[in-house]
Amino acid sequence: MIWILTLAATLYLVGLLHSVFGFYQKRPVFRRLALGMVAGAFVCHTLFLFWIGFTRRHFPITNLPESLCFFAWCISLIFMLASCRYRINALGAFTLPMVSGLTILSQVVWEENHFSPMVLRSGWVYFHAGTAFLAYAAFFLTFLFAVFYLIQEKELKGKNFRFLYFHLPPLQPCDEMSGRFLYIGFAAMSLTIISGAIWAEQAWGRFWNWDPKETASLVTWCIYLFLIHYRLSGRWHAKRAAYVSILGFASILVTFGVNWGLHAFL
Amino acid sequence: MSNLVVVGLNHRTAPLDTRQRAAFDPERLAEGMRELSGIPGILEAMILSTCNRVEAIAHVAGAPSGPDAIEAWLSDSRGIPRAELRPLLYRYEDESAVRHVFRVASSLDSMILGEPQILGQVKSCYASAVDARSVGPWLNHLLQAAFRTAKRVRSETSIGEYPVSSSSAAVELARKIFGELSGRRVLVVGAGKMGETAVRHLTESGVGSISVVNRSAEAARALAERFDGVAGDFSRLGEMLAGADIVITSTGAPEILIPPPMVEEAMRRRRQGPMIFIDISVPRNVDPGVGAIENVFCYDIDDLSSVVEANLGERLRAAAAAEKIVDQEVRAFSDKIRSLKAVPMVREVQGRIEDICRSELERFLKKGGARDARQLRELESMMSRVAAKIAHPLLEELRHGDGSRNETALAELLQQLLQPRKGKP
Repeated sequence: MIWILTLAATLYLVGLLHSVFGFYQKRPVFRRLALGMVAGAFVCHTLFLFWIGFTRRHFPITNLPESLCFFAWCISLIFMLASCRYRINALGAFTLPMVSGLTILSQVVWEENHFSPMVLRSGWVYFHAGTAFLAYAAFFLTFLFAVFYLIQEKELKGKNFRFLYFHLPPLQPCDEMSGRFLYIGFAAMSLTIISGAIWAEQAWGRFWNWDPKETASLVTWCIYLFLIHYRLSGRWHAKRAAYVSILGFASILVTFGVNWGLHAFL
Repeated sequence: MSNLVVVGLNHRTAPLDTRQRAAFDPERLAEGMRELSGIPGILEAMILSTCNRVEAIAHVAGAPSGPDAIEAWLSDSRGIPRAELRPLLYRYEDESAVRHVFRVASSLDSMILGEPQILGQVKSCYASAVDARSVGPWLNHLLQAAFRTAKRVRSETSIGEYPVSSSSAAVELARKIFGELSGRRVLVVGAGKMGETAVRHLTESGVGSISVVNRSAEAARALAERFDGVAGDFSRLGEMLAGADIVITSTGAPEILIPPPMVEEAMRRRRQGPMIFIDISVPRNVDPGVGAIENVFCYDIDDLSSVVEANLGERLRAAAAAEKIVDQEVRAFSDKIRSLKAVPMVREVQGRIEDICRSELERFLKKGGARDARQLRELESMMSRVAAKIAHPLLEELRHGDGSRNETALAELLQQLLQPRKGKP
């Protein structure tokens, strides 16, 4: 059944090529084609995750390949939701490399015959891990639009009317999109932490154990809280908000990477 | 043997003065087309007359004589001596004529590459040609194909996306900052002509409100009225800045009217929301230091022209893609022309084969005849099947030949071969 994942990865790659071409040529027809390919890939991807879920009898995030695969699925989902709502050529060209890369990586390191640890055989894993990856995916887009913002701002201030000036989205929409995904990500991450705490109380008897992943996510959560606070206060320039979004994403990568202590089952 | 030809002059071949003399009054255009299509040897004709080009597009009976006749007529009717006119004219025939018409309609041959007016001009000239009944099937096909090509070029390339006038460049810059302009507040400082043009472009893009500030309150009110805006007092400029997203300055004042501290104060009041200043006055009215403030973008007239220059570069890139579309359409049209040309020949050849079959059938019927009506029907249908089977490959070759063979020669040969031989029945 791994071939379904291969098919998904191939379709993602073809979609990526179309998006890059659409971004380069500014031809909306390629954006639509890319969206079609990604939709096809997403269906395969979803089928694959369901299949893994049924055969292994657990939610597919219990080891590294599974979680990479699931993370790619989350970004793909967010990408499609965003593309249906906003017509931004640059979105696919920068999101799909991440999606294709993660899908391919998960397929390369795929392990057959995996048994999940006892602690993960709980209903909480669905909610806790689902919201966590959704948050990561949303924060990725916050980061991406922050980068677009900074580049476009530099081009506009420097009066460089070159390739990126023409091909990246306008300034304020970048800021708005970055903010929108920030709120989605923040809500999802809050749910992750709350559900994690409740689950921890059931599994280990304590709500908070200060294990590395818990601590890292608390730091990340605080960075984004700070960002939201200042965005809403209106005392900040969008540029500074963009820098903090990038810092927040760096913190996300750390959070994703630390899997010691109680989270040491990946 | 008939041909499509284009004879004319444009901004590249002829100076403005000659172009003006050669141009047709819109009222005289239909009459000219009727006259031209009435000349022996010219089967269909239309004239495209704009300020940058005057050209006759015609379907003529013969290749060298047709364009010559058009040239002579142009010279006579415009009152320009032939010796003077001749070196300014270009001539295109067949495929190159088709390509030329397609490129003109798609604005690839325009003085300002990609400008959208030309398609409308071609359409209106064609409409008067239709009214004047000077066009027939060939030019109808040609112009429909030209409109289709132009439409494809518009929708499949980004050639029209990049504005190339300064005032529309100002709108583009504002779009690059705000995205959609609906609901944006515009402040116009000064009541100059250039400012007004920029404001008109902005209102066309759906900006929310317009306020005008001017030293002379009278002129401010007049301008504000024209755009349904409000006029403000010049002393309140600083205050009004806080409520504006897009500021256009176009005054005759020789000094800086908007210094950085004024903008900083405005930014504090508007909670740091982005602002764009377009300063079209010379000398400048907005201190260039304003552009250094966070979230404030300031452009002067030189910046607008570098946007225009960059946009022209993008149009050139898009034009390369457009040429490919033109190539495809020219190829498709040449196929169509070939089958159009083949129609009379095809009829001739088909008629000959059917004649042979019919005369053989008649001979048979005269000799003995069919036993009954059913057999007669069968014989008739058999003969027509035979005729169709012989004719089919020949006709296909005539209609869709790959262009490497001379289809006309082939048709002539077929007709000769199928002639009834003298002395034989």
